[in-house]
Amino acid sequence: MADNKQVVADIDRSLYDFKDIENEKDFYRMEEGLTKETVLKVSEEKNDPEWMRDFRLQCLEHYENIKMPNWGPSIEGLDMARISSYVRHKSDMKGKWEDVPEEIKNTFEKLGIPQAERESLAGVGAQYDSELVYHNVKDEVAAQGVIYTDLESALHGEYADMIKEHFMKLVPPTDHKFAALHGAVWSGGSFVYVPKGVKVDIPLQSYFRLNAAGAGQFEHTLIIVDEGADLHFIEGCSAPKYNVANLHAGCVELYVGKNARLRYSTIENWSKNMYNLNTKRAVVEEGGIMEWVSGSFGSHTSYLYPMTILKGDGSKMEFTGITFAGKGQNLDTGAKVVHIGERTSSVISTKSISKDGGIGTYRSSVTIQKTAKKAKASVSCDSLMLDSISRADTIPAMDIRTNDADVGHEAKIGRISDEAVFYLMSRGITEEDAKAMIVSGFANPVSKELPLEYAVEMNNLIKLEMSGH
Amino acid sequence: MSEQSLLQVRDLSVSIDNELPILNRINLDIKPGETHVLMGPNGAGKSTLGFTLMGNPHYVVTEGNIIFEGQDITDLSSDKRAKAGMFLSFQNPYEVPGISLSSFIRNAYHAQTGAPVKLLAFQKSLKAAMEILSMDESYADRDLNVGFSGGEKKKAEILQLLMLSPKFAILDETDSGLDVDAVRTVSKGVEEYQKKKDGALLIITHSTKILESLHVDYTHVLVKGNIVHTGDGSLVDEINEHGFERFI
Amino acid sequence: MNTDLNMKVNVLPVFTYNFLHVNDSAINASDIEIEKLSSPKPKEVPQGVSLKSEVSFEEAGQIFRDNKERILSSTGVPGEPNGDTSARDKEQALRTGMGIDVDNLMNSLGVKADVYTVEEGVKVEKPIILSYDMQDGDGALSAHVIHARKNSEVTIIMDITSDNEAKGFLGLSTRILAEEGAKVTVVRSQLLGKEFVHFDDLGGACFEKGAIRVISLELGGKNVWTGCYTNLSEKESDFTSDMGYLRRGDHSLDINYVADHRGKKTNANMQFKGVLMEEAQKTLRFTIDFKNGSSGSAGDEQEDTLLLSQDVINRTMPIILCQEEDVDGRHGATIGQLGEDLLFYMQSRGIDEEEAKRIMIKARLESVARMIPDPELMQRVHYYIQNIV
Repeated sequence: MADNKQVVADIDRSLYDFKDIENEKDFYRMEEGLTKETVLKVSEEKNDPEWMRDFRLQCLEHYENIKMPNWGPSIEGLDMARISSYVRHKSDMKGKWEDVPEEIKNTFEKLGIPQAERESLAGVGAQYDSELVYHNVKDEVAAQGVIYTDLESALHGEYADMIKEHFMKLVPPTDHKFAALHGAVWSGGSFVYVPKGVKVDIPLQSYFRLNAAGAGQFEHTLIIVDEGADLHFIEGCSAPKYNVANLHAGCVELYVGKNARLRYSTIENWSKNMYNLNTKRAVVEEGGIMEWVSGSFGSHTSYLYPMTILKGDGSKMEFTGITFAGKGQNLDTGAKVVHIGERTSSVISTKSISKDGGIGTYRSSVTIQKTAKKAKASVSCDSLMLDSISRADTIPAMDIRTNDADVGHEAKIGRISDEAVFYLMSRGITEEDAKAMIVSGFANPVSKELPLEYAVEMNNLIKLEMSGH
Repeated sequence: MSEQSLLQVRDLSVSIDNELPILNRINLDIKPGETHVLMGPNGAGKSTLGFTLMGNPHYVVTEGNIIFEGQDITDLSSDKRAKAGMFLSFQNPYEVPGISLSSFIRNAYHAQTGAPVKLLAFQKSLKAAMEILSMDESYADRDLNVGFSGGEKKKAEILQLLMLSPKFAILDETDSGLDVDAVRTVSKGVEEYQKKKDGALLIITHSTKILESLHVDYTHVLVKGNIVHTGDGSLVDEINEHGFERFI
Repeated sequence: MNTDLNMKVNVLPVFTYNFLHVNDSAINASDIEIEKLSSPKPKEVPQGVSLKSEVSFEEAGQIFRDNKERILSSTGVPGEPNGDTSARDKEQALRTGMGIDVDNLMNSLGVKADVYTVEEGVKVEKPIILSYDMQDGDGALSAHVIHARKNSEVTIIMDITSDNEAKGFLGLSTRILAEEGAKVTVVRSQLLGKEFVHFDDLGGACFEKGAIRVISLELGGKNVWTGCYTNLSEKESDFTSDMGYLRRGDHSLDINYVADHRGKKTNANMQFKGVLMEEAQKTLRFTIDFKNGSSGSAGDEQEDTLLLSQDVINRTMPIILCQEEDVDGRHGATIGQLGEDLLFYMQSRGIDEEEAKRIMIKARLESVARMIPDPELMQRVHYYIQNIV
C-alpha cells in the first residue's frame, strides 16, 4: 500500500507542481509592496484609459481604509509588502498557439490545455502570472457574434463603454478589503459577451496559472449573457508550490439577462502556499438561470462565497460545491444568495471533506427580501470528517422577510461508516480504496455536474488527497 | 335523473403545473346511497381524481365541472366542500404534533356544523366509533397521526369518516399497505358508514381486498386518465381474476 | 436606582458576515429603574434541598470557579474555528448564552443570588416553583445557582407573569451544575405584559451522566433576549431543550443557544417551535460544538417556524462546529407559512384557512406547554394560548 501512495504522489507533482524558472531577461516583475507608485505603474504598464487610472487610485484609498474581516480564517501569513502585484512575460498576447513563448507553452501543454481546446472547448484563454498569453475562440462561435477576449483589449475596443458600465459595479471596491485591492491592481482576465438568443453549445474556458513566487494574481472576469442566450464557462487554476505566500484576489462579475442561462464551473487547485481571496458575483434578470459548480481543492487559505442576486421575477440559481481541506489548509467556502424577484428559487447543495488537520468551513447566507413573494430556497450541506485532527464547521445564515416563502435547510456532519467500509472490504476491496470509493460517492453529486474530463480531474484530485499527499 | 344525483362529474380534465392533462374528460354520476369503485393500474390518475373532487389547489381543472347536490363546486375551496358534506380519506394523512386526534375531530366537527360540541356526547360517540375500529382509546389523546403506524393512520381516517358522517366520502387507497386483519377492521368501519341512510362512497383502490365484504353498485376502470369501462359490482371479481390487461 | 443598559449579548460562537447583523445583539436602554435585586422564594424548600439566600453574584459563582478545570476539561487537542469569539467570555465563572455583560450588570448593581443545593441522591419529587409576579413599572434583576450533587434530581419552575398591559424590566440569570448522574430541569413560562423588556440568561455544566433539561415558553414581553450555554463536560452527559415562542406586534426575540460537547458520548437536542405574526422579529442562533475528544457524541438542532404575516423578520443561524470524526450532528429548519398540503388536509375536514392557522399556532405552542410538570401552571399557559388564538 505504501508503494501505491508513492506512485500517486508522483503524478501529483508532475501534474501541477512543476516550476519554470522565470529568467529576468524575459520577465518583467514589479517590486514588492503596494503604494500609490506601484498602482500608477501598473496603470501605466497596462495603458489604462484615464477613468481606469483614477478608479485604481480610489480603490487603493478604500483598501487602506477598510478593515480586515473579523470572521474568516487568519490571513496573518500574508504580507502585502512581500507580494509583487504585477509579473508578466515580455512578449504580447498571442492568438496562435505556436507563437506563445516556449517555456509558457510547455507549462500549459503539461496541464493539457491545448488538447482540451482541440477536443471539447469553444474557446480558450490562458493567463500566465499577470497577463493573458493566449486567447482564441473557434470561428463558428465567433461567427455567432460571441465576444471572448482579454479585458485590456476590450477596454480599448468597441466594447469599451460596455466594460465601463459593468466593471466593478456588481462587486464595488467598497465591498471588502480585497475587492478594493483587486480594483487597485487588477490585471488580466477575460471579457465574454454572448448576444441575444445565442446559445453556445460547448464551453469556453479560461485557465489561470500563477508561476512566479511571492506574487499576486488579480484577474478580472466579466461575462454578459444577453437575453435568451446560453453559455457554459469553465475556469481552471493552478500554481506550483513555493515556500512564500502567493495571493490570488480575482474578481468575477456575471450578468445573466432575461431568460438567459449561465453555468460557471471552477476547479480550483492552487498550490498550498496560496491565499485565495476571490470574489464572484452574479445578477440574474427575469427568468434567467445561474448555475455554479465549484470545486475547491487547493490553496493554503480560501475565502470563497460566490454570490447570486436573483433580481428578476422567476429567476433561478443552483449552487453545487465541494471543498476538500487537507493538511495545512484552511478553506472557508460557501455561497450567498439574495432573493429580490417574485417566484425566485435557489438551491444550494454542498459537500465538504476534512482530512489530515485541514479546516473546512461551510459558510453561507440566504436572504429573502420582502419583495420575493413565493420564493423558494433550499440549502443542504453535508460534511465528512475523515479523522479526528481536522475540523469541519458549518456556519449558515438565513434572513427571511416575507411569510410567502418556502425555506428549508438541512445540515449533516459525520464520518465514513465502519459498516460501509466493512461491506466493501468483504468484497475484496482494500480499506484505502474502500474509503476513496465512499468519498468519491460522497462527492458524486458535484462531479456529475461537471463535463466528463473535469469530473475525471476532480476524481483524481480526490484520490490524491485521499492518499495523503 | 340528474335531480337525484348527489355528485355529477362532467367532462372533467385535470392537469398539474400546466403539464399534459392527467385526467381526460371524466364523467361520473353518483346517487345517494350508492357505492362506486374506481380501479386501475398504478399511475392511472385515480388519486388525482380524489384530490380534484376534494379541491386540492395543486390540481387544476382545465375543463368540465363538478356538481354536488345540484351546486357547481368546481371553484369551491376544500373546506367549503367538506362543509357541503364531502370527505376524503387520505392515502398519506398528515402528522400534526401538538393537537390530539380527538381535539382535531372536535375542531372539524365544530367547523362543519357550527354548533357547539357537547363534550360528553362527543366522547361517547368517539368511544363507540373507536370500538368498531378496534382502536385503543389512548389514541384519542395522541397527537394527530404522529407516530401512528400505517394501519393506525388509516383507522384514524375512517374514524373521522364515522364521526363527521359526510354525505359522500372518497376513500383513497384506504387498504394499501395494510395486513389482512387491518383491512377487515377498516372495511367494518366502511360498512358502518354504508349503513347510514343515503351515504355515498367512491372507493379508489388498485387491489380488491377492501371490497370483499362490501356491497358495490358500480365499478369504473381508469386507465391513463380515461374511464375505459364501467360495470356493476361483478366487474371487481373479474378484475380480481384477470387483472387490468383487457382494458389497457 | 436608575441605570443605563449598554450591553452586548448573545454573541455568536463564531463570527460571520457582518452585513447580516447577527454576530451579536445589543440591549440599550437609558434610565431604567431597577429596585428589586433579589429573587422570589418558593412556598417551601423541599427536604434534601438547601437554600442560601443573599449571596453576592460573584460569590455564588465560586462553585464553578472551583470546578473550572473539570468543566472545561478536554480529552483532545484544542482547536479554534474561524472567527472564534470564545475569548470574550473567558472571565465568566461559567460561560452563559448571553455572555459576560450579564455577569457585569449583576455584579455592578450588587444583585444577590439564591443558591439551591440538592444533596447527593435526593430526588425531589415536586417542582420548586418561583413566582415572578411582576407589576406595572417594576424593574428587577434576579440570579440563581442550582447545584445538584451526585445522582440527585430537581425541577425548578420560573413562573413569570404580569398584566398584559404592564411595562417594566426583568433580567434573570441562572447557573446550573449537574454533578455525576444528577438531573436538573428548568422550566420557564414567560407571560409578561406587552411593554416588558426581559432577558433570561442560562449557563450549565454537566459531569458524567449529568443532565440538564430546559423547557421554555416565551409568549409575552416586548423585547426579549435569552441565551443558554451548556458545557457537556464529561461522558454521557445530556442537554435537552424545547422552546415554544410566539411573537406579535413589534415584539422581538433574540436567542443564543450553545451545546458544548467535551465529554465522550454526550448528547444534545435542541428544538425550537415558534410563530411570528404582524411585525415581529426573531433571531435564533443555535450551535452544536463537537470539541476534539467528544467521540461518540450526537447533536441535533431543529427549528420549525410559522410565519403568519408578510412583515415579519426571521433570522436563523444554525451552526455546527466539529473537530471530532466519530460524531453525529444534524440540523434542520422549516420556515414558512402554513404548508399547502397540510392546509388542504385541514380544509378537506371542513376547517377554513383562518381556523387552520389557529389550530397550528396552538399545536406548536401546546406541544411545548404540555411538558410543563405542574398541572396548575400548564392549565394557565393553556388558557393564555387559547386567549391569544
